[in-house]
Amino acid sequence: MRILEAHNITKSFPGVVALKDVSVAFETKKIHGIIGENGAGKSTLVKILTGIYQPDKGEILIEGKEAIDHRNNKLFEKVTFVPQELDIFQNMTVAENLFIPFRKSGFEDTFVNMRKLYRAAIPWLEKFNINVDPNNLVKNISISNQQLLQVARAFVNKYFKIIILDEPTTSLTMSGTTCLFNAIRKLKTEDKAIIFISHKLDEVFDICDEITVLRNGEKVGYSRIKDIDRRWVITKMSARDINEESTFRPKKRKKEDIILEVHGLSGLGFSNISFNLHKGEILGFSGLVGAGRSEIMQTIFGLLPVKSGNVKFEGKPWKFGNTNFSIRMGLFYLPEERKRQGILPLLSVQHNIGIALIDKISNGLVISSLKERNLVEKVISSYDIKTPSIKRQIIYLSGGNQQKVIIGRAMFCMPKILIFDEPTKGIDVGTKNDLYRMMKKIVDEEGISIILVSSELEELLRCSNRIITVYNGEKVGEFETENTKESEILNSILGENIKNSTESIL
Amino acid sequence: MKKENIIKILGSILKEKQISGIMAVLGLMIVIASLSSPYFLTAYNLKAVIRSLAFVSIVAVGQGCLLLLGEIDLSVGSIAGLCGVIGGILMVNVGINPYLSLILCLLLGAILGMLNGLITVHLKLSSLIVTIGTAGIYKGINLVMSEGRAITDIPKEIYFLGQGYLFNIPLPFIIMLVVLVLIVFLTKYTPFGRYMYAVGNSKEASWILGIKVNFIRITTFMITGLLAALAGMIMVARLGSSQPAIGELWVLNSIAAAVIGGVALTGGIGNPAGALVGATIIGVIENIIVLYGVSVYWQTAVSGVIIVGAVALDSISRMGALRKKNI
Repeated sequence: MRILEAHNITKSFPGVVALKDVSVAFETKKIHGIIGENGAGKSTLVKILTGIYQPDKGEILIEGKEAIDHRNNKLFEKVTFVPQELDIFQNMTVAENLFIPFRKSGFEDTFVNMRKLYRAAIPWLEKFNINVDPNNLVKNISISNQQLLQVARAFVNKYFKIIILDEPTTSLTMSGTTCLFNAIRKLKTEDKAIIFISHKLDEVFDICDEITVLRNGEKVGYSRIKDIDRRWVITKMSARDINEESTFRPKKRKKEDIILEVHGLSGLGFSNISFNLHKGEILGFSGLVGAGRSEIMQTIFGLLPVKSGNVKFEGKPWKFGNTNFSIRMGLFYLPEERKRQGILPLLSVQHNIGIALIDKISNGLVISSLKERNLVEKVISSYDIKTPSIKRQIIYLSGGNQQKVIIGRAMFCMPKILIFDEPTKGIDVGTKNDLYRMMKKIVDEEGISIILVSSELEELLRCSNRIITVYNGEKVGEFETENTKESEILNSILGENIKNSTESIL
Repeated sequence: MKKENIIKILGSILKEKQISGIMAVLGLMIVIASLSSPYFLTAYNLKAVIRSLAFVSIVAVGQGCLLLLGEIDLSVGSIAGLCGVIGGILMVNVGINPYLSLILCLLLGAILGMLNGLITVHLKLSSLIVTIGTAGIYKGINLVMSEGRAITDIPKEIYFLGQGYLFNIPLPFIIMLVVLVLIVFLTKYTPFGRYMYAVGNSKEASWILGIKVNFIRITTFMITGLLAALAGMIMVARLGSSQPAIGELWVLNSIAAAVIGGVALTGGIGNPAGALVGATIIGVIENIIVLYGVSVYWQTAVSGVIIVGAVALDSISRMGALRKKNI
C-alpha cells in the first residue's frame, strides 16, 4: 500500500534549487533506499517528508490525504526521522528512552510506572539484540547499543507509520549492523514503510527492496533492487563512471625516511603501541569501533594524556599534551566528530578557514581582512568547497563540504603529517573518491605523510600503502597493502589470530 | 589609530546582524520618548542619560567578552566596589598619588578577574558558581575594609574623570566609547579576538586547532575584571567618595545589556559592543520612567516589563526574518 507519496516536489533556497520536480512513493512492508551524493537533495527531501520544510511546488500525500494543507498537518506525526547522530537522553534509563513520550507508546497512567516500562522494554531489546538491563542509564551503555536503541525507539511508537533512518549504521560494529538489519527485516512485515538513507552500497543492496537515486536535486533513477547492480547505482549517482576497483595509494613513498617513530606508547584504552611512519606514505589504521585507534592518535596529537612510551618526530623527542606544539611542528589531527571537534558551527566559512591561518593573515597583532578574504577564496577554490558565499555559516554546508574546509585549512598550514580520523564518515561515494584523490595528491605532490584511521576496510585497502591493525587496544598486525587480502586484515581486526593462538595453547 | 579606522570599527558594530532588530526597538523608544516628553531631547537630559549609562556599558562590554566565551562573571559588581574602596584608602588614608592609585586599582581589578579565571579553568568549574562565590568574597573584603562607611575627601584632581566634559560630552561616556572601540578592535581585528569566538563556539575544536584555550579564557576574565574596576573608579571620581555600595546594580544589568545587545548566553555569537545598545535601552527606559514621574514603587516593575517587551519584539522580528528566508 502506498502510504507516503511526494508529487513533483520543487524547493529552492536563495541561490540554489535544492529539489527539482521530484516524485517518490513509499509503500508499507517495503524498505526504500534513498541514495545520492552530498548536496543531491537527500536532506531537503527528508525535511519536506517530515513536514519541517514546505515545498515551493508539489504535494505530499500521507495515506492518500494532502498533508501540507493546514487541516491535515497532524498527518506528519505519522512520519518519524531517526538522525545519524545520537539524539537520546543520556541521563535517563534505557526503558525510559525507549518509551518516551509515554502516552504515545501506550502508557496511559498519570504517573510513570517504572516496573511496567521495564517489563515492556525486554521484548524490544531482545528484538534488536541490545543486551543491557532496561534500568541502565543510557550513558553507561555502549555507543553501538545507543544507536540500536535510537532506532528501536522509532519502531516502538505505534503512531509512526513511516520511519526514516539516516545512516543508522555509522557507529555500529559489523555484528551490530547485522542485528539491526535482522530486526528491521522482521519489523517490516508490520504496516510500516521504512526509508533507508545510506552511503554504504553494501548495506543498501543487503536490506532495501527498492531504491531511488537523487542527483543535483533531481530524481535520476528508481528501480527494484533485484534488477540492478552496484555499477548502475554509482553511474546514476555520479553521472560519471567511477571505477570502484581503482586504488589511490601514493607512489613516492620513501621507506628509509622515517618521520614519526612511536615506541611503546600506552594511554587511555591502549597499550604498548609501536610503529613508524614513512615520508610520503598513507599508513592505515584498522580495527573495530572501540579498539583504541582514535585514542592512540589523540594521545600523540596531545588531546589525551599519555601513560608511558615515547615518540620521535624527525628524530627529535616529542612533547605530549600540547596541541599547539603539535600544530607548530606540522602534525594535524582531523577529527572524526566533525560537528563537535572540527567546525566552529556558528561562524562563517571565512572565519572557520581564517582561524587556522592566523599566522598568514595577520602581522601578529592585527588581522588583514583583505589578506584573509584572498586566502580564504584560494582555499575554497583549491579544495572545491561549495558554498553560496564565504559569509555563510558553516553549519549550513553539507558534511562533505565541511570536511573539505577542515582539510583545506590544514593543508594551507604546510603540514608534515595529517591524521585523518574517519574522514569519510557520512560522506557519499562520489565525494569519497574526491577525498581519496585529494589525499593521494597531497602525499605525492607535497611529500607529506598521512595516517588514515578508518572502519571501512575497502577504504584502507584502496588508499594506504601499509595497514596496522589494532585489537582491544593492542597492535596485532602490520601489512603491506599491495599483497594482502581483505580477509587477512579482517581476521586480524576481529582478533581471530589471537583467539587461535590462545586456543592452540589450550 | 587613524580616524577613518575608528569610524570603520564603529560602523561595523551597526552592521552586526544580531543587533539590527534591537537597534530598531531602540530607535522606536527614542522617538516615543521625544514625542511624548518635552524634556527628553534637552541637552541637559541627554547628558545625564549618557553619563549614567556609560558606567553599566563599560561593565557590560567586559561581561559581553566573557559571555562570548560561554562564561559569565557575577562578581563584576563586587570587583568595582572593592576596587573603589581600596582606591579610596590608597588615595585618602595612605596618600598615594591619585593617578598611581587609579592604575593600581585597575591592576587589582585584572587580578581579581584572573582569580575568577584561574579557579574556573583549572578546577574545571562553572564560572557561574565560581563567581557567585568570589562575588561574596570580594564584597566581604570591601565591607571589612570600609566598615560599611564611605571614604570621603577623594583628591579633587581626579573628579574630572567622572564629572568633566570634553566637547560638551560627559567624560565617562567618552571613556566608554574608547573602551568600546578598543574591544571591537580586539574582537574583530586581532588574532586574540578570533580565538575568543573559536573558544566560544567549541572548546574541543579550538584545542584541535592548536589554540591555547585556557590562556584565552583566563585573559578574558582579566579584561572583564579590569573594565569592572575602571567603571568603579570613574564612579568614585563622579561621586567624590568611595561608596562600598558601588557596583551593586551592575551585575544583572551588565548581563541584560550584553544579551539584549545580541551576545548569546551560550557563547560564540554576537559582539560585546552590542552591549552598548542594550545598556542604552536600559538607560532610556530609566530616564523615561523618571520623566513621566512614575511612582518609585512602580519603577522596577515598569522597567522590567519594558526590557522583556524589547527583547520579545526583537525576537519576533528575527523569527519573521527567518521565515522569510525559509531556513
